[in-house]
Amino acid sequence: MEKKKSGKSKIKEELEECQKIKEEYLANWKRERADFLNYKKGETERMEEFLKYVNVNLILKILPILDNIYIAEKKIPEELKNNQWIEGFLKIKNQFEDFLKERGIEEIKSLGKKFDPNFHEAVETAETKGKESGIIVDEIKKGYKIKDKVLRPARVRVSK
Amino acid sequence: MAKILGIDLGTTFSAMAVIENGEPKIIENREGARTTPSVVALTKKGERLVGVLARRQQITNPQNTIFSTKRLIGRRFSDAQIQKDKKLLPYEIRESKDGGVEVKMGDKWHRPAEISAMILQKLKQDAEQKLGEKITDAVITCPAYFDDSQRKATKVAGEIAGFNVKRVINEPTAAALAYSLTKAKSRQIVVYDFGGGTFDISILDVSKETVKVIGTGGDTHLGGDDFDQKVMNWIISEYKKEQGIDLSKDQLALQRIKEAAEKAKIELSTTLETEINLPFVTSDSSGPKHLYLKLTRAQFENLVKEYIDKSIELVKKTLKETKLEPKDIEEVILVGGQTRTPAIQEAVKNFLGKEPNKSINPDEVVAIGAAIQAGIMGGEAKEVLLLDVTPLSLGIETLGGVNTILIPKNTTVPTSKKQIFSTATDNQPSVEIHVLQGERPMVADNKTLGRFMLDGIPPAPRGIPQIEVAFDIDTNGILNVSALDKATNKSQSIRIEASCEISKEEAEKMKKEAEAHTQEDKKKKELIEARNIADNLIYTSEKTLREAGDKIDQNTKKEVEGKVEELKKVKDGDNIEEIKSKTSDLSQVIQKAGAELYKTTQGAQKKEEPSSSAEASEDKKKEDKGKDAEEGKYHDKS
Repeated sequence: MEKKKSGKSKIKEELEECQKIKEEYLANWKRERADFLNYKKGETERMEEFLKYVNVNLILKILPILDNIYIAEKKIPEELKNNQWIEGFLKIKNQFEDFLKERGIEEIKSLGKKFDPNFHEAVETAETKGKESGIIVDEIKKGYKIKDKVLRPARVRVSK
Repeated sequence: MAKILGIDLGTTFSAMAVIENGEPKIIENREGARTTPSVVALTKKGERLVGVLARRQQITNPQNTIFSTKRLIGRRFSDAQIQKDKKLLPYEIRESKDGGVEVKMGDKWHRPAEISAMILQKLKQDAEQKLGEKITDAVITCPAYFDDSQRKATKVAGEIAGFNVKRVINEPTAAALAYSLTKAKSRQIVVYDFGGGTFDISILDVSKETVKVIGTGGDTHLGGDDFDQKVMNWIISEYKKEQGIDLSKDQLALQRIKEAAEKAKIELSTTLETEINLPFVTSDSSGPKHLYLKLTRAQFENLVKEYIDKSIELVKKTLKETKLEPKDIEEVILVGGQTRTPAIQEAVKNFLGKEPNKSINPDEVVAIGAAIQAGIMGGEAKEVLLLDVTPLSLGIETLGGVNTILIPKNTTVPTSKKQIFSTATDNQPSVEIHVLQGERPMVADNKTLGRFMLDGIPPAPRGIPQIEVAFDIDTNGILNVSALDKATNKSQSIRIEASCEISKEEAEKMKKEAEAHTQEDKKKKELIEARNIADNLIYTSEKTLREAGDKIDQNTKKEVEGKVEELKKVKDGDNIEEIKSKTSDLSQVIQKAGAELYKTTQGAQKKEEPSSSAEASEDKKKEDKGKDAEEGKYHDKS
């Protein structure tokens, strides 16, 4: 009788043990499932972020081409400024600018403004008579922002 | 549990990471960048700037823009290194009362640790904003050669920033942690760290639970910036040779050249040749002048060879000091952005005779390792269930000796995958399942894991039987492959133990081979696909003629027969173009025949046997599908 009882209680113990393990496994499984679903959500967000980033990155790679167009424009000799050929070429520049505008990309104003490292990067300082220091006297490369985020700071020369 | 931040406090850049869901993750700063310049400035208005903002205003405010404090931290003023660096720094430094170093920013003198603290503080704030929770604990890294006083100063910097610094660990140890190389029984590791401005060599001795630094070396003034300078000089001298104009005095041109040089360097890590194109770079009396040069990877490697050689010499020297030889080194880790240059990777590999570890972004690997250390201390990394991945792809052989992959490499196990296949010939009684491991598209180039037969398939035209093949890998990496005939429910299976048992080197070798043979393999596969399509078309054409030949105009029938013969002649040759053009010829005439057939059955207005035309069109569908190669078919080997 005694023996039987202990056998029974042993089985009961084992059963309880099994139940406990079962609960634990189930809980872990649920946790894993939840982790996965959360991961998936996170991944979707990261994907969106990434897509934004890819777009921005592409724009950043296109900008140097526009930079060169601006450089070329600056170097047009006075006597050619009204030339029809040149005007045609400058229309291409306008297309470029429209392309950026349509995507919400704005040029950062810099010339004559006070230097602000949030939007400008100083590449040189210049001695200027009669001007207070820290004023942008020349824009070497245009900067751009999308909404409030700076895509690329303007590279500028600043008065000493 | 609160997160512990892992921080790589670098000489030029810093980075930070945490463990999230068991995975280390780099945290972006407020500006959205994954690294932060280690620069602090005080503007004339008394505003403190840290990171990229400080760097942007550096040129307008050189005396109050402090960088490279890592070169000063915890050192004595009389230190030879300090005396050397002092000449290169645009800001003022002096000896403090206790013989240390002090830096002047604004009107105040600061300890280098205070400046580093300002960087750490920014990282802390940015991380808190990104993660949306308060962060108090941190693990910070420092170079392996840092002495006690430099380590203490680094810890103090963290404390000033408001961190409870859990530990200061060595950068090379962090890199080894990032690559999980610290769990081995015993081995020697070389960490080759080529950053923007400094070059560090560390030799680690890993034994159970401990990582000892047994040797350090390097050059505190050798880095990627030297590479850029070399390229700049090359551009200037080439242009001078070509146009006779010296651009080195033209500040505007120099700015553009500097950017172009950096871009060229980065591009040459992935391409063999790059263009340096600076229109309107200058002008003279004859008008505007443009700069257009081509730089090949070989030329670039030649330019920077002296630096690479120098770094290898330093590795040699450090090894010698630790009385080790290249053959004693079991693992090599590359750290620092400049190690992306293929010539560096080659040089390191050649000298040490090992494929270096380089899969983790070399700018981020130290911060990642610091986060892993933090995770271990916070108990987060330990509880992570480690799941294996399949090192190589697993698949089966399909018609034409093609390896059709069911489970691609790097899939986390346990996993399973099912796919339906069919037979390749009419009345095929059995199929053989040939289980393969490897990346190459042709069966012969892969490893056979096992094979078995499924027989008793009831007679049926080819493509009709549905054989479901299932791959299942359990947590122990044991692969079960089964095949089930859907019509009879008959099935066969095979159990393959140790399907993952391929050494790292072997897996690496196989992957490399696969890459090297991509082109050739692609051609072979294309040829086989073209043959399969041709085969299919011949089969359907002949079947159509056999079953409905009397309903087709005799001339068309002859034409089809002729084209079938022509295609048969070329299909086993190696000329893909010929097979494709003959296939398309036949396809055109058989379509004509199909149209005729359709007309005659419709014209007759009889209901009899719509099946023949239906079948023909069904065959047509199949033939289109065949192009996707999705419906892979077995060899009839019985």
